[in-house]
Amino acid sequence: MNAERKLDLAWVALVLLSIGGARLGSGDDDGFAIAVLVALVMAVKLLIVSRYFLELHEAHPRIRKAVYLFCYGMPILVILTTGFREPLARLTGAALI
Amino acid sequence: MSIAVPAPSTIAPAVPPAAPAPAATGRIPGSKAMWVGIFCELTEFALLFAVFFVARAHHPEAFSAGPSRLSLLAGTGYTLMLLTSGWCVARAVHAMRSGKRSHCMRWLVGALVFGLGYPAIKVFELQRNFAHGLDGSAGVFIVSYYYLTFTHLVHVFWGLLGMLWVMARTGLGAYTPEDHGGLEAFACYWHVTDMLWLMIFPLFYLLG
Repeated sequence: MNAERKLDLAWVALVLLSIGGARLGSGDDDGFAIAVLVALVMAVKLLIVSRYFLELHEAHPRIRKAVYLFCYGMPILVILTTGFREPLARLTGAALI
Repeated sequence: MSIAVPAPSTIAPAVPPAAPAPAATGRIPGSKAMWVGIFCELTEFALLFAVFFVARAHHPEAFSAGPSRLSLLAGTGYTLMLLTSGWCVARAVHAMRSGKRSHCMRWLVGALVFGLGYPAIKVFELQRNFAHGLDGSAGVFIVSYYYLTFTHLVHVFWGLLGMLWVMARTGLGAYTPEDHGGLEAFACYWHVTDMLWLMIFPLFYLLG
């Protein structure tokens, strides 16, 4: 498969994930399970963009690691701050006071 | 007359040592300067995301009800416009690498059209929001939404200006298949701005 074809398929996958992922927000369900699903879709989309559009696999290791820190870090933060919302509020409330 | 020929074991190897694998060393896509700018952008958004998560922890009810106040259609529209624009930019870079300058220009025009879709949707969404009373006094969720999305909009504007610049340079024949670092640097910025939206969109339109 040539590089252009891979880019086209990556774009199709991103569009499908975006439309499918948007349906997560149209339901009445709430809570941790939705946060995990949203985080997973976010991570997959970020990794597709970084791999195929940004060509991060060819980039200098420092650039690669720093961008991957964001790609993995944000979805993990979404899950952690949903699961540990009250401890985060207590911790930051004390720090703010 | 005799010519001294060194013994085979003392002859320096004709073939240089193999270059390290690209995955081990990699390269700097675009330019170092652009990556300094990109990491400044990522740091700025990291701080804004931290504020978002703290505000969400302190006001769970406001953030839980937040997504239903926004237009999911507009949010999905932004995502599709930016992803499609990013795809066009990636295709433009590949066209330039293949020496197809006219193809590159056409892909850049496509990228600009879809990129302009982002502020166009923003105009309609803002009209809708203000008609629903979603202004700066509409609570912590809406305030967080405005500061993050407007900051992102500013970065999209920089990207659109950059896109016009690389289009002009492409039209003037400044890039070649061997030397198109400026085009690559712009592409990196645009893809990272795209990635930032992929983080912002679910926070406000899906998760709350």
